Amino acid sequence: MTSRRPLLAALLIALTAMAIWPSGAWSAEPKPKPYRIYMALWRGWEEAAQGFKDYFTNQNIPVELIIRDAGQDKSKLKDFVAEAKRLEVDLVFTWGTTVSEEMLGRLDTVAADKHITEIPAVFAIVSQPLGSMVKDFASSGRNITGTTYLVPTETQANLIQSYRPFKRLGVVFNPLERNAQVAIGEFSEVGAKAGFEVISRSVDLVDGKPNPASIPAKVAELKKAKVDFLYIPPDTFLNVNRDILTGAALEQGIPTFAAGENPVLTSKAMFGGVYRYYTVGQLTAYKAEQILVHKIKPAEIPIDAPKRLSIIINMPVVRQLGLYPPMKLLGLAEVIDPTEGKGK
Amino acid sequence: MTLDHTRPLFIRLLLLAFIVLVPPVGLLAHGALGEFARGLVPEMDKKAETVGRDLASSIERAIGYGIPLDKLQGMDEFFAPVLAANREIRYLAVTDRDNRILFINGAMPELLTPYFSVTDFEGGGSRKSLIGDFVNLAQPLMSKGVVVGHVQVGLDQDYVQSRLMEIAVDIGVMTLCSLLVSVEILLFIVTFNVIGPIRAVSTVMDRVRRGDFGYTCGVISDDEVGRFVHGFNGAIRHVDGLFRRLEAYMDEIKTAHFDKTVVGRVMDIEARVRFLFRFSRTGQPEVINEHQATDIRLPLFLFVFAEEMSRSFMPLFIRDLYTPSTGLDQEMAIALPIAVFMFFIAAVSPSAAMISARKGSRRVFLIGLLPATVGFFMSGLADNVFDLTLWRSLTAIGYALVTMACQSYIAQAAQRESRAQGLGVYVGAVLTASICGTGIGGVLAERVGYRATFVLAAALSVVAGLLIYRLMDAAQPKAEPLSPRKREFLALLRNWRFFALVTFAAIPSKIALTGFFFFLVPLTLLQTPGYDLGDIARIMMMYPISVVLLSPLAARLADKMGWKAGLVAVGGLIGGFGLLLPVLSGDFNVLGVSIALLGVSHGLSASPQLAIIPDICWTECRNMGQTNVLAFLRLAERVGSVIGPFLAAAFIPIYGISGAVIALGAVVLGMSVVFALLSFAYGSGPHIEAELAE
Amino acid sequence: MEKVGPTSTAAAASGLPPSRPVRWSLVRKVTLALVTILLCTLLVSGFFAYYKFESVYSSLVQSRYSFVVFTIKKRVEDNLNLGLALRQLRQVQDVLEREKTRDPQVIAVEVFDARGEVLFDTDRGAIGSKVPQDLIEAIRGGSSQAFGTTDEDNLIVGLPLVNNLGKVEGGVVLRYPAVYVNHGVTGLLLHLLKTGAEELAVFSALAALGLYVLFGGVGRKLTGMEHTLNAVMASGGSALPGGDGFETHFAEFVAKSREAVEHIRDATEEVGRLDRLQ
Repeated sequence: MTSRRPLLAALLIALTAMAIWPSGAWSAEPKPKPYRIYMALWRGWEEAAQGFKDYFTNQNIPVELIIRDAGQDKSKLKDFVAEAKRLEVDLVFTWGTTVSEEMLGRLDTVAADKHITEIPAVFAIVSQPLGSMVKDFASSGRNITGTTYLVPTETQANLIQSYRPFKRLGVVFNPLERNAQVAIGEFSEVGAKAGFEVISRSVDLVDGKPNPASIPAKVAELKKAKVDFLYIPPDTFLNVNRDILTGAALEQGIPTFAAGENPVLTSKAMFGGVYRYYTVGQLTAYKAEQILVHKIKPAEIPIDAPKRLSIIINMPVVRQLGLYPPMKLLGLAEVIDPTEGKGK
Repeated sequence: MTLDHTRPLFIRLLLLAFIVLVPPVGLLAHGALGEFARGLVPEMDKKAETVGRDLASSIERAIGYGIPLDKLQGMDEFFAPVLAANREIRYLAVTDRDNRILFINGAMPELLTPYFSVTDFEGGGSRKSLIGDFVNLAQPLMSKGVVVGHVQVGLDQDYVQSRLMEIAVDIGVMTLCSLLVSVEILLFIVTFNVIGPIRAVSTVMDRVRRGDFGYTCGVISDDEVGRFVHGFNGAIRHVDGLFRRLEAYMDEIKTAHFDKTVVGRVMDIEARVRFLFRFSRTGQPEVINEHQATDIRLPLFLFVFAEEMSRSFMPLFIRDLYTPSTGLDQEMAIALPIAVFMFFIAAVSPSAAMISARKGSRRVFLIGLLPATVGFFMSGLADNVFDLTLWRSLTAIGYALVTMACQSYIAQAAQRESRAQGLGVYVGAVLTASICGTGIGGVLAERVGYRATFVLAAALSVVAGLLIYRLMDAAQPKAEPLSPRKREFLALLRNWRFFALVTFAAIPSKIALTGFFFFLVPLTLLQTPGYDLGDIARIMMMYPISVVLLSPLAARLADKMGWKAGLVAVGGLIGGFGLLLPVLSGDFNVLGVSIALLGVSHGLSASPQLAIIPDICWTECRNMGQTNVLAFLRLAERVGSVIGPFLAAAFIPIYGISGAVIALGAVVLGMSVVFALLSFAYGSGPHIEAELAE
Repeated sequence: MEKVGPTSTAAAASGLPPSRPVRWSLVRKVTLALVTILLCTLLVSGFFAYYKFESVYSSLVQSRYSFVVFTIKKRVEDNLNLGLALRQLRQVQDVLEREKTRDPQVIAVEVFDARGEVLFDTDRGAIGSKVPQDLIEAIRGGSSQAFGTTDEDNLIVGLPLVNNLGKVEGGVVLRYPAVYVNHGVTGLLLHLLKTGAEELAVFSALAALGLYVLFGGVGRKLTGMEHTLNAVMASGGSALPGGDGFETHFAEFVAKSREAVEHIRDATEEVGRLDRLQ
C-alpha cells in the first residue's frame, strides 16, 4: 500500500492541476528552479528592499533571497563579496551608495578579485551613480544596472510651479551638510532660467552643532523676504527637526514643499514630490527580471528612475493655509487627510 | 422624335435617368439623415452624461477634502484635455447653488448666464435642457448629501450637423459615382439597341436609295428595331430574290435560246436593269455591320474602372506589404511597383498598337484581359513587394494591350465621324472610370479591405471581357502604315520646339501625375488625422473631375484662339504652383486644392499639347505621319511617368513626405517655367525650319 | 403615313418574310435596365448610408465606453503607483461593480493581469479564468489609445494598465452587447428598406412611363414604317415622307424598292413575252 501512495498522490496532484490549468502540458512541467539573489543591505530591511521582494511575489517569479545586512559597517562588505561569489548566486542587489561602491567597485577602482564582476548586479538608492558607478544612464558599460531615486531639481521646480507660480523660493539649511547646499546650488541654476530666486538661510551653529531652536527665526526672516514657498531639502538635520521647521512655516503662512516624504507624511509640510523607496525597489526588481528571466545583458538596460513621481499633499495643512491645489495635481496626488478618516 | 438625330433621344434619356435616379436617392438620404440625428442624439447625451459624471466625481472628491467650490484651482487645465478629446462637447462649466457660473471653458460666460439664471437644475440625476445652439446637461455636485452646484456639459448641436453634413457629402459622392456608371450603361444600351442599328439602317438605306440592293443590315434583336430591320432586310432580300429569278431566267434564255435577236433584246433588258439597280455579286446581299466608337466604351470603362479602384490605396497597400528584409528603403519599395507599372505600359504600348492593328481590336482586347485579370487577382494575394511588382507588371501589360486595342478600334470606327469625336469617346470613358473607380474603390477598400478590392477588380475585368466576347463581333483587321524607323524619331528630337515640349511640358506633367498624385498623395493624406480611405479617395477624385471640367474648355480655346503653347505653359505653371501651395499656405490641408489644381493643369494642357504638334512638327508630320509623331510624344512623356515615383521616393528620406511634395513641386514648376520662357519663342503657325536645318 | 390592311396578309401577298415577333420591346428593355440601375443605386446608397451611420454610431458608443474604461484605468493605476500589486487592489472590484450598475447595457467589466488571468470581474464567477489571447496581445504595447475587439456577441473596449515603472501590469476591458449598437441602427435600416422600397416602386413606375413616352414613339414609328413598307411592297402606293431625314430617306427607300420590284417584274414579264413569242 505504501508503495502506491506516492503514485496516487501524484495522480491527484496532476488531476487538480489539470482542473486548474486547461492545458495538460502546462502541469506536466516541473516547478522552475528559483533564481538566487544576494541582497546586500546597509541599514536593515526597509521600503526599497520590501518593494524589491514584493515585485517578485506579485509577478510570480520564484526567487530565493539571500539577505545580508551590513548594519552600516563598511568592513563587512568584503565578506559579502566573497560569499556571493562562493554561493554562485544568479544576481546581486546592492542597497545604497556605500554598499554599491564597495561591492561592485567604482568605475576607476573596479577589480575582478575585490568586486563582483562576473555575476550581474543591480543597485538601488545610490545618490550619484553617474561618473562614479556608470559611464552613462543609457548603459552602464559594465555588468551592472540600477535605478536612481532622487527627483531631478528641474522636476521639483516644475512641480512647485504647477501648484502655484512662484518668484522666490526660501530654503533653511544646515551648513554642515553638503546635500542641502548642492540642492540650493542646483535650484539657483534652474531658477536663473525659469525666472525665480532662491533665498537661503543657514541654521545657527552652537558648539559646532546646528541649533534647532534657531529654525523659527530663520523661517521668519524668509517670510520677511517674501518667499512664496519654503523648500525642505534632503537633509538629515532638517528631517530630524521637521516638526519645528514645518510648524514654523505654517505659523508664518508659508507653504512648504519637501524633497522627502517624511515632512509631508508625518509632519506639517504642505506637499512633496518624491520617488518612493518602495517603487524604486520595485523598479530595481523589474530590471533584475529583465536580466534573469528575459536574459538581457545589464549593460543594455538603462539606469533610470520610476516613470511617475509620487506627489503627496497634506490636506489639513492645505486647508489651514487656504492654498488649494489645482485639480489636475489633486487628481494625480496621494492625499493625506487624517481628519476625514481616509487616506485617499 | 427623330431617328437620324439620336442625340436628343439620348439627352432626353439622360434627363429621365436623372429624374428617376437623383430624387429617390435624395429622399432616401434626407430620411436617413433624420434617422441619423434621432439615433445619434441620445448616444451623445449618454456620452456627455458619462463625462459629466466623471468630472463631477473628481470635483466632489476635491470638495470632500474641504476645498470650497468657488476656490477650486486649475479648472482650465482640468477641463481643457476633456474638451480636446471629445469634440462634440462644446463647453464645460461649474455653477454654484444659485446657478452662477464659477468656472467655464469653451464658451463665454455672458452667453450662458442669462440661461442658467432662469433654469432650475434641482431634482436628482442629470438634467438636459436646450440652450441656444447647445444641449446642456447638468450633473449635480453633492457634498455631504447636499447639492452644492452643478457641472454643466454643453453639447454642440453644430457637431451633429457637421457629422450629418459629412455623411450627406459621402452619400452625394456615391450618388454621383452611380449616376456616372448608369450613364455609361444607358449610353451603351441605347447605342447598342437603337443608335447603332439605326445608323446601320441609314447606311444600307443610302445605298438602296442609290439603287444598290447589294447589302443588308447585320442587326439581330428581339425588339421593335430588330423587327423593323428584319422587315427592312426582307424588302431588300425580296428585291434581290426577284432579281435572282430574273437573272436565272435571262441566263437560261441567253444560253438556250436559238433566236439571237431575242437574246439581244434580253441582254438589253439585263443591261437596263443592271444600269438602274446594283446587286451583290456573291449571289445574295452582303451583311453590313456598323462599328461604333461607343460600342467599346462600356468594356473600356469597366476595365479602367477596375484599374482605378486601387488608385487611392496603392501606396498604402505596398507599405503594408513592405518588410525591411527586402533590402530596399521603404520609400523605394513603394515607388517600385508604381514605377514598374508605368514602365511596362510605356514599353508595351507601341507594340500593342501594332498588334491590335494587325490582329484586330477584339482579339487584342481579350488577350490583354488575360494578364490584366490574373494581375488584379494575384495582386490581391501578393505577400511581398516583389510579388506585387510582378503581378502589377502583368496588369500593366494587359492595360497597355487593352487601351491600345480600344484606341485602334475607336480610330477605325470613328473614321466616318471626326477623329476628335472618337478621341472624346476614349478620354470620356477613361476619365469617368477614373472618377468612379477612385471613389468607389476607396470606399470599398475601407469596407472590405485592399485584397478583396483587387479581387473585385479582377471580376470587373472579367465582365468587361464577357461584354466584348458576347457583343462585339470580330472587327476587320486593318493594315496600318509601316511605323518609321527609330532614327527618324531621333531626328524629331532635333526639332527644338518638339524637344522643349517633351522635356519641359510633357515629362514634368507626367512626373507630377505619377510622383505626386499616384505616390505621395495617398501617403500624405493618410498622415492627416481623421482621414480614412474613403475620404482620401474622395479627395483624389478632384483630379479627374477637374480634368473633365476643363478639358473641353481648353480644347475649344486651343482651337479658337490658336493659343496652344500658351495654354500648355499656363497649365504647367498652375500644376507646379499647386504642388507648392502647401508650403505657401503653410497648411497641408490644402492638398485637396493642390490635387484640383493638378487636374486643372492637365485639363488645360493635355489637348493643346497634342494640338500643337502639327504646328511645331509640320515637316515631320508630313514625312512620318501625324499619328506616328503623336505616338512618339506619348512614348517620350512616359519617361516622366517612370521617373515620377522614383523621384518622389528619393525626396522622402531627405525632406520627409510633406517635404517631398514641395521638392517635387519645385522640380515641376522649374521645368514649367523653362517651358513658359521658351514658349514665347515658339511664334505661331507652322514651323518648317527643322527642314531647312537639315 | 398610310396603312393598308393587316401586315400579315400584306406580307403574304408581297412575298415578304413573315414579320418577326417582338419579344423584348425597346421600352421593356430600357425600363428593365433603368429600373435595375435605380435598384442598384438605391441599394448602394442605402447600404452606404447604413454603414456610414453604423461606423459613426458605433465609434460614438465606443468612445463613451472607452471613456469609462479610461476612468477605471486612472483609478487602478493610481493605486498601482502606491506600490500595491494589481491582485491586491480589492477596492477595484467595487469600482467595476459601480460602473456596471450605472449602465445596464454593460455586460461585464474585468481587470486581468499581464498573463491574462482575470483578477476582478463584475461577473465574480469569471475571476481566476483566462482571457482570450487577443486581449493579452492588445495590452502588450501599453498604448494609451483604447483598443476595440469583439468576442462572439459582445464588443469589447479596453486599455492596458501600466504601473509607474512603465510596465504593463494587465488590462481593463468592458464588454457591451453588439446588439446594443445593432439596436441603435436597426431603426435606420428599417427606415432605409421601407423608403427604399417605396421609392423603387414610385420611380420605377415613373421610369416606365417616361421610357414609354421616349421609346414607345420610336417603336410605334418603326412599326408604322414597317407596315407601310409591307403595304407598299404588296400593293403599291407610296410612303409619305415623314418629319425628319430618316423618314424622308425611308420614303425614298420604299419608293426605290417598289420601283425595283415593279421594274424587275416588268422586265421579267418582258423577258417572258420575248421567250413565249418564239
